[in-house]
Amino acid sequence: MRRRSLTNPFSTIPLELLAVCIVVAILVALPVGITVVQAFQGGISAIRDALSASSSSTLLVHTVLLAAAATPVAGVIGVAGAWFVERTKLPFRQVWALLLVAPLTVPLFVTSYAWATLGQPLQGFWGAAGIVAFSYYPIIYLLVAVALRGLDPALEETARALGLNARQTFFRVVLPQLRPALLGGLLLVALDALVEFDAFVALKFQTFSSDIYAQYRLGFSISGAAALSFFSILICLVFLFGEARLRGNANYTRVSQGARRATTRYELGKWLIPVMAGLGAVIAVSVGIPIAMLIKWFSESTSAGVSMAAANTKYLFPASVTSIGLGLGAALVAILFAFPIAILAVKHKGPVVTILERATYLSFALPDLVAAIALSYAASHWVPSVYGSFGLLVFAEAILFTPFAVVAIRATLGQIEPALEDSARALGSSSLRALWRVTMPLARPGFVAAAVLVFAFVLGDLSTAQVLLPLNLYTLGTEFQANSSTVAFAAAAPFAAVLIVLAMAAAYVLMSRFGKVRSVGDG
Amino acid sequence: MAELRCAGLAKSYGTRLVLSDLDLVVPAGTLTAILGASGSGKTTLLRLIIGFITPDEGTIMLGDNVVANAGGANVAPDKRSIGYVAQEGALFPHLTVAENVAFGLPRAERKSSARIGEALDLVGLSQEYAGRSPHELSGGEQRRVALARALAPRPRIVLLDEPFSGLDASLRTETREAVVNALALEGTTAVLVTHDQAEALSMGREVALLRAGRLVQTATPTSLYRDPVDLDVAHFIGEAVVLPGTASAGVVECALGRLDVRTPNLEGAVQVMIRPEQIQLTTGGVRAEVVDHVYYGPETIVRLVLADDSRTPILAKSFAQDVPAAGEIVNVAVTGPVAAYPPQ
Repeated sequence: MRRRSLTNPFSTIPLELLAVCIVVAILVALPVGITVVQAFQGGISAIRDALSASSSSTLLVHTVLLAAAATPVAGVIGVAGAWFVERTKLPFRQVWALLLVAPLTVPLFVTSYAWATLGQPLQGFWGAAGIVAFSYYPIIYLLVAVALRGLDPALEETARALGLNARQTFFRVVLPQLRPALLGGLLLVALDALVEFDAFVALKFQTFSSDIYAQYRLGFSISGAAALSFFSILICLVFLFGEARLRGNANYTRVSQGARRATTRYELGKWLIPVMAGLGAVIAVSVGIPIAMLIKWFSESTSAGVSMAAANTKYLFPASVTSIGLGLGAALVAILFAFPIAILAVKHKGPVVTILERATYLSFALPDLVAAIALSYAASHWVPSVYGSFGLLVFAEAILFTPFAVVAIRATLGQIEPALEDSARALGSSSLRALWRVTMPLARPGFVAAAVLVFAFVLGDLSTAQVLLPLNLYTLGTEFQANSSTVAFAAAAPFAAVLIVLAMAAAYVLMSRFGKVRSVGDG
Repeated sequence: MAELRCAGLAKSYGTRLVLSDLDLVVPAGTLTAILGASGSGKTTLLRLIIGFITPDEGTIMLGDNVVANAGGANVAPDKRSIGYVAQEGALFPHLTVAENVAFGLPRAERKSSARIGEALDLVGLSQEYAGRSPHELSGGEQRRVALARALAPRPRIVLLDEPFSGLDASLRTETREAVVNALALEGTTAVLVTHDQAEALSMGREVALLRAGRLVQTATPTSLYRDPVDLDVAHFIGEAVVLPGTASAGVVECALGRLDVRTPNLEGAVQVMIRPEQIQLTTGGVRAEVVDHVYYGPETIVRLVLADDSRTPILAKSFAQDVPAAGEIVNVAVTGPVAAYPPQ
């Protein structure tokens, strides 16, 4: 029996959907546009000066090397973790899955301070690359795990029957099919590495983002900072379209979806102990270090500065309220932005779709800090009423993390059988009603995953809040930062503790929802 | 219920012509089976009728309404009042059986409509099923619920897209009977799309054969089987023995003797098409040697070659308990009129 592909290359995109997606793409690309305008306001000479500064080329090399070192490591960890959890009889799989996802939701600046306190060697390039690799591999883990679940077990069985062993089957049959998911994940990690700033706040390592930050803070040269951002915009575009070229038209995962047999899991046998040790080491580095440091900071606070920690706790509640409100607001807005884009990307094909979908990734073209400055600048000049408002911060956080919401919603939408919407249409529902009555309830796990992902990222964001937070407010992140810059981390510990508890809860929801869809095949 | 009338339909995807010059009339209250190999354009035709795609040429009428008109107005799928049963049922996994069946009813009737029970009744399912989830149903029950869901809003026509694929043989027969029964009780006009000859022949009042985007023959099951429009159709519908012959005045002369022919106006050299069940192992007639046989339970297909210099291969279908062994010489004779075609 033949299954109609979900994507109909010849279908025309409904005008309403196209219009909404264009608006979203423009909104998300707004900071990039403003930055380009700002760069030119200083005149061509200012741009030339900024780019020709001796440090620029060094930092560019630093940044690219960082992405080049961190991305493959994240890829290997993500793919290996997903394969062992999804395809082997690893004991306590649910627990491993949770722990493997957890690093994604731990705020990077907390991890950064934790690594920095471990010692000098980790404050340089290797520390920076390590933080990025060990904090972002869960993106690849999640995408690959979903793709693995979507593969037809018959393909692997056929390969085994043709005489391939488990290792050969993985490299010749499984891995090629994971290519779209893996490339997508590697792209997200690489882009993140390029513009990452929060992860390096406590390190001595300088990247492009830190230089831009310096231009802004020390030189207070907005056009200089904007000019430097040209590099990151350029690299981002190369990555975005490079990945699209590599991915090509391959979309293997969708061929065999629908009613699936349960996959057979491999016995680990003598590999059980080494595999558990390996995964345990990954988790020890990624989650263990920040949590161990947190405990150490707490113990310091009880021995040394109890009064100091106590004095700060009165800020704990309002900071939590602000952070949670900000996270929820941004998650809601990001989902509203991401849903039409995800629908477009799943149901339609063609150059227009590629451009609109890729445009949402432009929020990666700028360090968060630069994007925040751009929005703040634009608001103060053109829309003074929103300047310094909480709403502007919510909007900024939402557009920064929209690509992640698109990824999470898309992972679910791609698995919904097209015949379900067709049936609803034939039963008298308009396309919007069918969306509301069938697609949205089925895609609910995807919305939850998207919301949690954005919520966790917003909680862990520092630089955007530093620029756009209204004067009378503070978040868990800004309070952690403010208190950690004093003598000890003891005072910062309660804020980090709340952040990590929320992060773990988020990781749990994320792990249980990402890429899942309700289907008749569920037992 | 309403008559379906497609006139001059054509559809291309890019440069690939998928359907062309297609005329089809499904009389009100009857079932027409669209039979075709994969890639023949069946699904495209179905999607044109439902309205998911629009025709490049031609019109589609449901009763007195033009629902699709190339270059003109096209009625949206949700306004066409068409029941659609997708492959494997496509039940909404987040809704119960009752909620699935009620999906197409007006909002006020969805909670507690007598129509839900009525529709379940039609497909032979008891009320106990109402509260169940789709994943608690067997494959055959899922198809029945899908049909109940399609019938509940009293559509003007029901379209069935390979509704029995993936069911095992006995469940298939049972589900097929339940579907035919439900459609007859409602008196609904229906179009069944399938690649299964037996399914098309046993269910359709008429069978329309689709080949490379064109309807090559629309006829009752018996005339399609016995009097196919050409040899390709003959082979597609069932097993066929083809022999050279000479026709004259309603009779054809071939290696199996002088036979009555259904196309009396043919004269001269022809190709004769005989169904294997017309060739019987008897005491008189033409001598043939048994090559081997394939046992199907109720019947046995016997492969033979004529015991003359030509050694022409033929097939016979035997319903006898004992079949001759390979190498045995038997006599074969043809019963009933045969079909003949001009030489290709």
